[in-house]
Amino acid sequence: MKLRRGWSISRMRLRSLLERSQVERELERELRFHIDQQTEENVTRGIPPDQARRLALRRLGGLAQIEEECREMRRTNYVENFWHDLRYAVRTLAANRGFTMVMVLTLALSIGANSAIFTVIDNVLLKPLPYPEPDRVVRIFFSNSTYPKFRFNPFDFRDYRARNRSFDSMGGFLRHDLQLSSGGQPERLTAIRVTAGYFRVLGFCPTRGREFESKDELPGPDRQVILSDRLWRRRFEADPNIVGRKITLDSQPFVVAGVMPPRIFHPGNDRNAIAHGDTVDLWWAFTFVGDPNNRGSHYVDGIGRLKRGVSPRQAQAEMQSIATELEREHPDFHENWQVHVVPLHHDVVGGSRRLLLVLFGAVGFVLLIACVNAANLLLARATARQREIAVRSALGAGRYRLIRQMLTESVLIAVVGAALGALVAVGGVRILVSLLPANFPRADVIQVNGTVFAFTLLVAIATGLFFGIAPALQASRTELNQALHSGSRTSTSSARQLRLRDSLVVAEVALASVLLIGAGLMLRSFLNLLRMDPGFRPEHALTASISLPDQEYRKNETVVHFCAELVRNLASLSGVQFAGAGTDLPWTGYNENIGGFLIEGRTRAPNERIHARYHAATPDYFRALDIPLLRGRLFTEQDHKTAPQVLIINQSMARRYWPNGDAIGKRVSFFTDKPKPEDWMTVVGIIGDVKDTPLSKATEPAFWWALHQHQPSRTISIVVRSGSDPASLLNGVRQEVQRLNPALAVADVRLMDQIADASVSTPRFTLFLVGLFAGLALLLAASGTYGVVSYSVKRRTHEFGLRMALGARRWDVLRLVLVHGVKLSLAGAALGVLCALALARIFQSLLYEVRAEDPLTFAAVSLLSLAVAAIACYIPARRATQAEPMSVLGSE
Amino acid sequence: MSKPSDLIQGTLDLLILKTISLEPRHGWAIAKRIEQVSDDVLQVTQGALYPALHRLEQQGWIRAEWRTTETGREAKFYALSRAGREQLERELVQWERLSNAVGLVIRMAPGAAK
Repeated sequence: MKLRRGWSISRMRLRSLLERSQVERELERELRFHIDQQTEENVTRGIPPDQARRLALRRLGGLAQIEEECREMRRTNYVENFWHDLRYAVRTLAANRGFTMVMVLTLALSIGANSAIFTVIDNVLLKPLPYPEPDRVVRIFFSNSTYPKFRFNPFDFRDYRARNRSFDSMGGFLRHDLQLSSGGQPERLTAIRVTAGYFRVLGFCPTRGREFESKDELPGPDRQVILSDRLWRRRFEADPNIVGRKITLDSQPFVVAGVMPPRIFHPGNDRNAIAHGDTVDLWWAFTFVGDPNNRGSHYVDGIGRLKRGVSPRQAQAEMQSIATELEREHPDFHENWQVHVVPLHHDVVGGSRRLLLVLFGAVGFVLLIACVNAANLLLARATARQREIAVRSALGAGRYRLIRQMLTESVLIAVVGAALGALVAVGGVRILVSLLPANFPRADVIQVNGTVFAFTLLVAIATGLFFGIAPALQASRTELNQALHSGSRTSTSSARQLRLRDSLVVAEVALASVLLIGAGLMLRSFLNLLRMDPGFRPEHALTASISLPDQEYRKNETVVHFCAELVRNLASLSGVQFAGAGTDLPWTGYNENIGGFLIEGRTRAPNERIHARYHAATPDYFRALDIPLLRGRLFTEQDHKTAPQVLIINQSMARRYWPNGDAIGKRVSFFTDKPKPEDWMTVVGIIGDVKDTPLSKATEPAFWWALHQHQPSRTISIVVRSGSDPASLLNGVRQEVQRLNPALAVADVRLMDQIADASVSTPRFTLFLVGLFAGLALLLAASGTYGVVSYSVKRRTHEFGLRMALGARRWDVLRLVLVHGVKLSLAGAALGVLCALALARIFQSLLYEVRAEDPLTFAAVSLLSLAVAAIACYIPARRATQAEPMSVLGSE
Repeated sequence: MSKPSDLIQGTLDLLILKTISLEPRHGWAIAKRIEQVSDDVLQVTQGALYPALHRLEQQGWIRAEWRTTETGREAKFYALSRAGREQLERELVQWERLSNAVGLVIRMAPGAAK
């Protein structure tokens, strides 16, 4: 009701304003009608017509006056005043071009930076995910204290799917790339295996053919595949009759079940990670094979679409009760596991939230400092304008009217600044996106949009009011008599105004100090990262990945044979020092674990969870990565299939399970049920630790099987160390692979340097931006301090001249000015330190091996603020001392 | 701004709202109606009527529409909006309270003086 009235009121106002002539005409017609009616009545009463009209007019009263009153009632004068204020503001600002330019440019820069960061926040954090009713899409994790976001055993997944009532549909998926070798260069396609229901969860329908159904989950001769629109156009000439066609992938026949429309967004996953986005080339049907009672291995990621009105929490409670049932049914496999239901949006962007908010805070600080600067400038100018204001107020402008006029000016400055700032934002967002860390979620959809422009306008208006209000209040308080009588040049600002200006300087130094401390911490943290020993040597190493098709390489021997031959051939390439093959590479997110194995001579403590990350490697894998051997030996060619089985472990595993330091020669078995003598594997070497990522807190315990003895995966990472430029080996590697099997694709070709570089891209990005904003803040704060001090020096020129005429030395005057400025910045720096301490908790998670209360950074930053402030004061102070006493006094 | 000589402003608003609460009327008809119903006791200063109408329209209590009268002329008709109807209720209650209070004071005053 209120709303409707508000709407009708604003419509009326708008109409009175925009269709003014129409409204005026109507008013005139309305009144004429009245007079006509009255005249008619008068005539019927017997009054002669000529008099009747006159009487009617007299009865109504002054026409022009009534019309004016009606106009008044329509309140259009507000708007007229606004136009008047605006014209006046434009004239005033145009007259003070230098002043206006400084303010507009400062604001453009800081508002633009804000809008750019907001663009990223809006697109990444605020915008819903590109699925229908995205709030209902959730990730479902199997979870325990060690692995909070783990995957499901497929048969567990099937039970959860069948028993729950919370979900409309539930889907499981795992990455399993496929090789397309026909019709061109062999290519490894990004592929995931999905269960029935997967696309229903996401809310997508195929444009051709059908989605997978439960019958596709049974193992059968015809493997079903659904193509992405992209792949269908690129490799299958957009064949309209593709559905039902047989195609060969990984040397096996597949039947095309359907084609998806463009822009199918993968929800994102961690194991063999594919980022969230339009990243998947094709989907193939997941089939449930093996013993449904063996629930030990977990590799299926779960997603679900909640029923309407069911919250993730409710769904989680239900899933947990199913977990309890399953624990009863399969007691061996479900100890202490839980199910977590997390909104997909949170899963995708949750990790970047803190980073973005810190950046937003930093850039907000810059804007605050710019506001303080602007307020300072306005204050200084308000003093200069005292006479103008006094005249206006003498001519009848009320205080309210004066404040409005001055706020109009400040908002106008801010809006012009924001208009330029929008341009800065458009450019800034481009740069920002190109700098974003490699794994940043939703980076591909970031663009400046209407929301951003609305935000910019809002910020502009708020900014204008914010920095305008204090000066406007101050100026409008001008004592009329005093201002008109005293000469403009020596008119003094009140003590209150001086205090206000001083506190503004303190505020901006404090804000800049907080940012500088933040940047200092980021810098130290980043230097720590660079100085950190990665545990391997990334220089001069070329890496690639090869997937051996299951069909062709069904037997382990064939895989071993292929790897051995490839590594041998690669090592013989000229320029190659070492060539190795293994399951994975450092810092690539590999996370395959095995738990509950037996350690000879050790009984498991109650509640102890024995687990380690498993890998496999050829003998030269460690040499090619330059991972140091600490004790024992590396694998050799003699560690073949029939030789005694051997293991290499990392230092963390040695420390964890053999704390007395005697791991070499000890034995481990992965057959937990009465292992035979040949099931035991002997630890032969201990190698140095390599963390999961440079930012990981600790290294996980890990071991390596000899690849020639044990081969857990058909996806092989190869690494080649060269004496010179490793990039020149690329063609040689590709040739060697295809000489062994022309159908194989060489994928993920990267220098180890690039992998290392990408893994510190987030801290580098944060450092760069926070550093940039801190630099900007320092510059603004310095110019603000300079402005205030030089203004006060100018105001006191007369006093200084007098002092010097009376015998004060230059140094005395210099000290007078410097001490005042340094006092202010000291107070500011101290306040900044306190704020930074209060904010330390937020910062900490973004730092590496440096405490957020790091005293070195705090001290350095305080010194820097002081030094900059001293310089900013010194320049005007020197000017003060150069005043010739006689000329100053003479000019009075 | 001229003040209506015989009516305080709030009262004029109330009279207008009440008058058009039954059916939409144009300005002249409103003036006539108020005079008629009050047996010509309340003489609306016609000059004050139109600014009041425009103010009420601005405030969203009444809505205006151009219509043809019985005599076939175009006139601006005013009607009560839904919000205006509620406003009328409120003003009536207030008026009642006021006139009761005034009545009480007038009647009690001589007694109190004794």
